[in-house]
Amino acid sequence: MIDYFALLGVERRPAITEEILKEAYFRKSESLQSDSAESGELSAVNAAFRTIANPATRIQHLLKLEFGDPGGGQIGADLGELFGLIVKVLQNADQELGSLSAQSSPILRALAYRKLDGLRQQLEQVERELSQRESGLLAEVARLDQSWLEDTAHTRQPIAQIALDFTFVQKWLSQVRERKIRLEELA
Amino acid sequence: MSDIVGIDLGTTNSLIGVMDSGFPILIADRDGSRLTPSVVYLPETGEPVVGAPADRMRALMPERTLYSVKRLIGRRPGESEKEDFPFAVKSLSGRMVLEVGDQLLKPEEVSSLVLKKLKVDAETSLGRAVDRAVISVPAYFNDLQRQATKRAGELAGFTTERIINEPTAAALAYGLDRLRDRSRVAVYDLGGGTFDISILELNEGIFRVLSTNGNTRLGGDDIDRELVRLLKERITGRYPELRPELDDRQFFARIREIAHTAKLRLSTEDAVQVEIPFLSGNRSFSYALTRMELEAIARPIIRRTRSHCLRSLDDAKLDPVKLDEVILVGGVTRMPIVRQFCAEVFQRLPNITQNPDEAVAVGATIQAGILSGVVQNVVLLDVTPLSLGIETFGGLMNVIIPRNTTIPCKAGEMFTNAVANQTSMQIVVLQGERELAKDNWELGRFNLEFEPVPKGIARVGVQFEIDGDGILHVLARDTRAGREKVVELSSAVDVSDEAVEKMIAESLDHAFEDMSERVWTEAVLKSNELIPAVRSALTLVGDQITSDDQRKIDLLVLEVEAALKGHDSQRLKKANAELDEGTQHLATLLIDRAMSEAARRKK
Repeated sequence: MIDYFALLGVERRPAITEEILKEAYFRKSESLQSDSAESGELSAVNAAFRTIANPATRIQHLLKLEFGDPGGGQIGADLGELFGLIVKVLQNADQELGSLSAQSSPILRALAYRKLDGLRQQLEQVERELSQRESGLLAEVARLDQSWLEDTAHTRQPIAQIALDFTFVQKWLSQVRERKIRLEELA
Repeated sequence: MSDIVGIDLGTTNSLIGVMDSGFPILIADRDGSRLTPSVVYLPETGEPVVGAPADRMRALMPERTLYSVKRLIGRRPGESEKEDFPFAVKSLSGRMVLEVGDQLLKPEEVSSLVLKKLKVDAETSLGRAVDRAVISVPAYFNDLQRQATKRAGELAGFTTERIINEPTAAALAYGLDRLRDRSRVAVYDLGGGTFDISILELNEGIFRVLSTNGNTRLGGDDIDRELVRLLKERITGRYPELRPELDDRQFFARIREIAHTAKLRLSTEDAVQVEIPFLSGNRSFSYALTRMELEAIARPIIRRTRSHCLRSLDDAKLDPVKLDEVILVGGVTRMPIVRQFCAEVFQRLPNITQNPDEAVAVGATIQAGILSGVVQNVVLLDVTPLSLGIETFGGLMNVIIPRNTTIPCKAGEMFTNAVANQTSMQIVVLQGERELAKDNWELGRFNLEFEPVPKGIARVGVQFEIDGDGILHVLARDTRAGREKVVELSSAVDVSDEAVEKMIAESLDHAFEDMSERVWTEAVLKSNELIPAVRSALTLVGDQITSDDQRKIDLLVLEVEAALKGHDSQRLKKANAELDEGTQHLATLLIDRAMSEAARRKK
């Protein structure tokens, strides 16, 4: 397995600022393009950037390098609760969007669209909730970054948990946002 | 090292450029024009005619004059809806071909004629041979469309050094003067046939595409088509007896040209007089077309770009307020309504300093300069517009390379045998964003071969690689035997012939359906829903339409009511459809109102 941290020349730890990562990535791609490198090398650099830029994949990659295993398990209990709500909102959205897109008359569709304000508000509320969790998790990564440097072994489990939660929050966020866009699209 | 030229191979116009002492220069042809219409006229005898002289043949010889071929390149017959071309488009063993007289041409062959003309222009101007090119394509082109474009370049005698995305090229053109800047820009590119939106980050000479989105079948041609429909309606309103003549191909080509010119003029004028002298016999037609009328037609088409803009912002993880600039490219962005629309979506006034017709060609030329080493300290990091995946169990799409991944990129998947002594399995490669495999483009399929071993023992890795042109290469590696081979994707010809047959079968079903009682019941249900809906729409936004339009809608409603009293399902279906069409504008107004209400609530 390639060590993406080493490839880009950045520190191997849970947190990194966007500035530092980009700087490293740009320097690397610039040097490769100027000596017309193999596209294989460029691919690896691109993959490294993509992996490290996302907190979830960065942590999983880090854990794999350190312990040979990304860890994980089950999502946090409060996320599980939120999941119930999200499923309801998404199902509701799919149903409403489905009947709206089946409507072939422009005028009937326009009238139906006017009634979808409730759905839009629901989606926005779930989105806000998820964005909050996302920032919460980011703060947590920053905190665990410190304890990682002090005691890697003990930080392993909590940081694996964060990575897992992060994956789910990101996935749900993109699902909620996709519904919001589809709502606009059907207008 | 020889020159590399940059080419914008457009739906409507094409351009060619070359780097000259460090600056991108677009080359004019011998008539002094930098824009070559992407039109090819094939006379019955003699050489093909390309560019402006061919464009002039459009109204005269519509069935021998090929235009907007970019809409067909790399397409399969099943996947495009019927196009209103005055020339013949056929399906031949799963490919689109154009038929002129007894000649059959592939779309890329037609495009190669345009490219050849540009090549000659460049060689004449530079006084030396050019045989290497960078060619631009819409960012949202799929793998097949890119490959076909590359082939067009090769047929014209070029080595296609790079396929570059149009909005990325436009950003290069814009950003070359701002190499020390750090900024985020959105490039909104609405051309004749395609729409692209890309979001880029400029960072001291590094152009990094954050996301790209679009629609390869959305553009100014759609507005032209709607405008033709409006004019035809106005003509038959005055001369009902001309209805059959209006479907004539030659006549269609003539109105289309008049409509297009009127559209262009309405970008700067509030109203134009549309004149069609000697329409038929000595009947002439004259009509005062206002910008408001044009905008009413264009609005729903332009609004279709909105969700693409939102998706690309979302993928770039950006709020519109974090953008530094919105750049407009493509001829249609000259329309004031497009500028207003962009201002609304991106919450800022768009930058119109780029020449919307030339930015892409200038950018392709800069990319040519980067590749030949003339332009230094500029790095371009582009992305793949569409997710790449394979079909898995249950007909689902399993994404292997997600959209907006920086190219070049590689990703692999490991396969094993599901039963003992299985010797091969079929892998279906897909491109697109839909969950179901069948809703995505099938790029091709191939057989993966195994050594006969017990179940689950075989290990074959398949590597998907997208190169700098956005084109896919597949490599299979048998890790047990240590063998490696490049996989050829067989094109999905059989599949698409099947699809065409299925469509024909279905259309036959529909022919018989009309006899059934079900059709009548459905039409009645629809009328009963439609009439009250139209009434309530009229009370909501009726004050925003002219009394003339109001009267027309009243007449359409009366016709539906009259048809309900009879028992002619054809008549009722037709009346419903006409009412649907006649209230399109009303529906747009309703949605506008709902949107502005929602926006007000947010504040």
